[in-house]
Amino acid sequence: MKKKLAVCLVCVFFLCLGVSAGAKTLKLAMDADPVSLDPHVQLSGGMLQYSHMVFDPLVRWDKNMNFEPRLAEKWERVDDLTMRFYLRKNVKFHSGNPFTAKDVEWTLERLKRSQDFKGLFEPFEGAKVIDDYTVDLVTKKPYALLMNMATYIFPLDRKFYTGTDENGQPKDLIAKTGPSFALSHESGTGKYTVGYREQGVKTEFKAFADYWDKKSPGNVDTIILTPIKSDATRVAAMLSGDVDFIMPVPPQDYARIERDAKSKLVTMSGSRIITFQLNQKRKPEFQDKRVRMAMVYAVNNQGIVEKIMKGTATTAGQQGPEGFAGFKENLVPRYDLEKAMQLMKAAGLEKGFECTMIAPNNRYVNDEKIAEAAASMLSKINIKVNLKTMPKAQYWDQFDAQTADIQMIGWHPDTEDSANYTEFLLMCPNKETGYGQYNSGNYCNPKVDRLILASQTETDQDKRATMLQEVEQILYDDAAFIPLHWQNLSWAGKQNVEIEQIVNVQNFPYFGDLVVH
Amino acid sequence: MFAFIVKRVVQSIFVMIVIAFIGFCIKHQIGDPVRDIVGISVSAEEREALREELGLNDPFMIQFGRFLKNAAQGDLGLSYFFKKPALEVILAKAPATIELVLVSSLFIIIFSIPAGIFAAIRPRHWFSRFMMGTSIVGVSIPVFLTAILLIFVFSVELNWLPSYGRGETVNIGGWQTGFLTIDGLIHLILPGIALSSIMLPLFIRLIRSEMMEVLETDYIKYAWAKGLKPGRIWLLHAFKNTLLPVITVGGVQLGIMIAYTILTETVFQWQGMGFMFLEAVERSDTSLLVAYMVFVGVLFVVVNTVVDIIYGLVNPMVRITGRK
Amino acid sequence: MKRALRRFRASYLFFSFKRDPVAVVSFSILMALVGCSLLAPLISPHDPYDTATIDIMNAEIPPMWMDGGDKSFFLGTDIQGRDLLSTMLYGMRISVLIGIGAVFMQAVLGILIGLISGYVGGRIDSLLMRMADVQLSFSTLMVAIIVSAVFQVAFGVGKYEDMAVPLLIVIIGFAEWPQYARTVRASVLGEKSKEYVEAARVSGFSAIRIMIRHILPNTLSPVLVISTVQVANAVMSEAALSFLGLGMPVTKPSLGSLINSGFEYIFSGSWWITFFPGILLVLLVLVINLLGDWLRDVLNPKLYKG
Repeated sequence: MKKKLAVCLVCVFFLCLGVSAGAKTLKLAMDADPVSLDPHVQLSGGMLQYSHMVFDPLVRWDKNMNFEPRLAEKWERVDDLTMRFYLRKNVKFHSGNPFTAKDVEWTLERLKRSQDFKGLFEPFEGAKVIDDYTVDLVTKKPYALLMNMATYIFPLDRKFYTGTDENGQPKDLIAKTGPSFALSHESGTGKYTVGYREQGVKTEFKAFADYWDKKSPGNVDTIILTPIKSDATRVAAMLSGDVDFIMPVPPQDYARIERDAKSKLVTMSGSRIITFQLNQKRKPEFQDKRVRMAMVYAVNNQGIVEKIMKGTATTAGQQGPEGFAGFKENLVPRYDLEKAMQLMKAAGLEKGFECTMIAPNNRYVNDEKIAEAAASMLSKINIKVNLKTMPKAQYWDQFDAQTADIQMIGWHPDTEDSANYTEFLLMCPNKETGYGQYNSGNYCNPKVDRLILASQTETDQDKRATMLQEVEQILYDDAAFIPLHWQNLSWAGKQNVEIEQIVNVQNFPYFGDLVVH
Repeated sequence: MFAFIVKRVVQSIFVMIVIAFIGFCIKHQIGDPVRDIVGISVSAEEREALREELGLNDPFMIQFGRFLKNAAQGDLGLSYFFKKPALEVILAKAPATIELVLVSSLFIIIFSIPAGIFAAIRPRHWFSRFMMGTSIVGVSIPVFLTAILLIFVFSVELNWLPSYGRGETVNIGGWQTGFLTIDGLIHLILPGIALSSIMLPLFIRLIRSEMMEVLETDYIKYAWAKGLKPGRIWLLHAFKNTLLPVITVGGVQLGIMIAYTILTETVFQWQGMGFMFLEAVERSDTSLLVAYMVFVGVLFVVVNTVVDIIYGLVNPMVRITGRK
Repeated sequence: MKRALRRFRASYLFFSFKRDPVAVVSFSILMALVGCSLLAPLISPHDPYDTATIDIMNAEIPPMWMDGGDKSFFLGTDIQGRDLLSTMLYGMRISVLIGIGAVFMQAVLGILIGLISGYVGGRIDSLLMRMADVQLSFSTLMVAIIVSAVFQVAFGVGKYEDMAVPLLIVIIGFAEWPQYARTVRASVLGEKSKEYVEAARVSGFSAIRIMIRHILPNTLSPVLVISTVQVANAVMSEAALSFLGLGMPVTKPSLGSLINSGFEYIFSGSWWITFFPGILLVLLVLVINLLGDWLRDVLNPKLYKG
């Protein structure tokens, strides 16, 4: 018995050696791993990163914020409401089924049922199959962001997900909390299939032999994804050579990785804005524009970027970064303590007041430290801030209940578009339409609402940009919120990993195209 | 005997219900699990619908009753995050913690026995004094500080040992073990040392003081008088008799060590039960938390009962029916 | 007063204290540390709680003697630009306060339960001891994590900063009462059958009076011994909770939260944020432990078994 066991062990050992010697393997460490194999279960950065590995979208963003054809080879506008997509032929799903227009139609329908995605796909009427390789996407009203949304359509294998599983549940069930077929099975068209998976511990991706994109330079056969939540540990793993690629990289360790000869660091300015909202309903003082303005002037966001973020963020004066439609060059960050004090005096509040602030401590990069720094900055204009930070699981409840006068929120627009910031963060809160869902400042300006609503159906991109820029100007003049910065995106890897080629501002690394020397 | 077991079972059921009740009271306080399940831009109505679907909006007693009913059938509910039965999640994480505790117990045994014996035999030797001195310093260093120090020195600066996780594991009948691969064993070293660092000094001191007491007894003096070899006296006569109290206390300390795994596992991102527990708190995975509390409770009651029975069997002087 | 002092000086306790250099040294260090923490507002060069004086531009300045050090920050600054030395002194104050407070609470709770359990016996005894068992099975840290998560949510936001210290005292105090209860119960059981208790009972004193006036004083020396160890444990527990992010808020850091916030910076070269508070914490716990050891030897050598 013992001998047999020993023989087995030796075999296993050599098997392990054999596998690692023959093929290119990438050991990847991220802060979290996909919560499910079902791409429609959650709308989050992590799930979309996963989708780009195992599935393919109709189109995807390239580095210059243009659309790159993937499963759709080309597209054309038919009328105000319709966009026609010509699909790639000879594409196979992991199950072996061929990919056709019906899969697109089916996927869109499933997206409209998904609790997380249905909001984004609300403007869509549906998909119309013209023939096997042509499909029309139809919207209810003219919709400016139709193509942006097409980047979220990762066609699923309709045949594979049809029927019932061994528990008698339909295979296409989108189950958020329980077991389901799609939770543990996938069939997409992407470069990788999921081999072994133990949630929270390890996921192994294997290259799919029949992958359609033969032109892709990618040469990685196996990706082993390990989630390492703690920043310091993740960096330690990179430095000690346990992993080849980490994301995200905590700002405080940029210098250390750059010093390390075996590693390299890639960063890019991102579009997640970090802000504080000032609750005008809870705190009457915040209704005074001068007070809000004074607070904006008092917060040294350049200092936060330099010291806490170690220069790994871009100081912000408005919501969307450069490159977004609503970006206006003249809306620069304002920090001027003198001016802040004058404004407080003008408002008759030079003696200041007390207020409360909450912030998460594990949601945004250095969120807790930023909040602490902001609190001490505000104390310089005699606003005493009682700060409480908490894990994100508890934070959002507190945020919704608006338990503090100042609340931190960061936002990255799922649509990669300026209007999305305002829709969620600063439009008048309205339970029925869902606008202003995260507007805990209760800022409400009918003119802003009008402009944003108009921008949604405006398909002329120039006219639309003018509207969105006007919105930013109004918010700036009103000091509707305290802008801090846009977080940088960061990745680090060994020197032989060509990170630069596959990363982008959306933070969806295209691992399929990754080259390892 | 039979009456004793029945009594214990009834008692433990009562304990379980109390634990479950407390767990349930807390469950509503820790946070909203729905928030972690959905994306940030999902509307409030959708979240409400999900809450309804999960039965989170039902009155407290109804939820509690439902839980008890399922628990009686061995179903402790689904973990919201893992989307699997909570018990399955806990059992899957158990090997990691157990192996870690085993390895550090091994470290403790290997080092504390010779050190303790030596310190007892030669209490005035410089090495004994040095050991006693370091051991009290050891007790005073928090385990997370030791862990950080170890990572800093051995992983980051020297690059000798891995800093996180379990490495390569082999699945044997559902038990993911790190004992059978070199990689897995290497990954066990640092966490094992960190975890044992808190208990090792305690054990050295314990063995020393117990042994010193035994060395004073008459039968040892008699053994000396008989002219036996020192090695024989120390190991066979003296040490054997210090073992019993050491094991008794050691058992209790082992329980405490499992508590310290929370810290060790956090620093090393070790995928065990302590790490799972802390993550469940952070994610408000409340059903997993309640299940874990009940699980630990059951484990404790079972172990206690078994220990009592064995005690009774081994030592007829203890009448187990009389033990409260 | 004078007489009491003289009596103390003549006592065995003081005699053995004088003869033990380790005890003398640790006692003086402990007194110095406690003194520093009590006088923190007077002796520390900066006031870390006065947020108006903190400048983010001073963040992560290394200790004075290193390159880039600043004369006004002897041990350097932390990530918020707070003077590390002052923050440590204030942090130690919190640690000491929580340590003593929590042990006081444990002692009150544990002694009460232990007395009742040991003296009354029977069903109440078995119920109380079972409770202690169950709680011990959950380990201090787990109980503390759960309780603190609940309290944090229950108390709301604005109050947390002011409530944190009493809250941690309650949490840690609540989590470790069984230690006391068991010790006291054991000595009560030992005392209960002695003649003087019998005599008191015959004289018709009430149970409460017997428990408090007669039995309690005779159980105090083991309580004193475990108290020292428990203070050290409570300081460590607080540090552990803060390390896990469930302790003191960032604006009023204790030693544990300082170590935690420094942990993220340890690879980037700012080692001093973790190192100095770590040393201070170890020193504090160490001298308390040494004193506890000495006290145990002097007062009650028999206790060694447990």
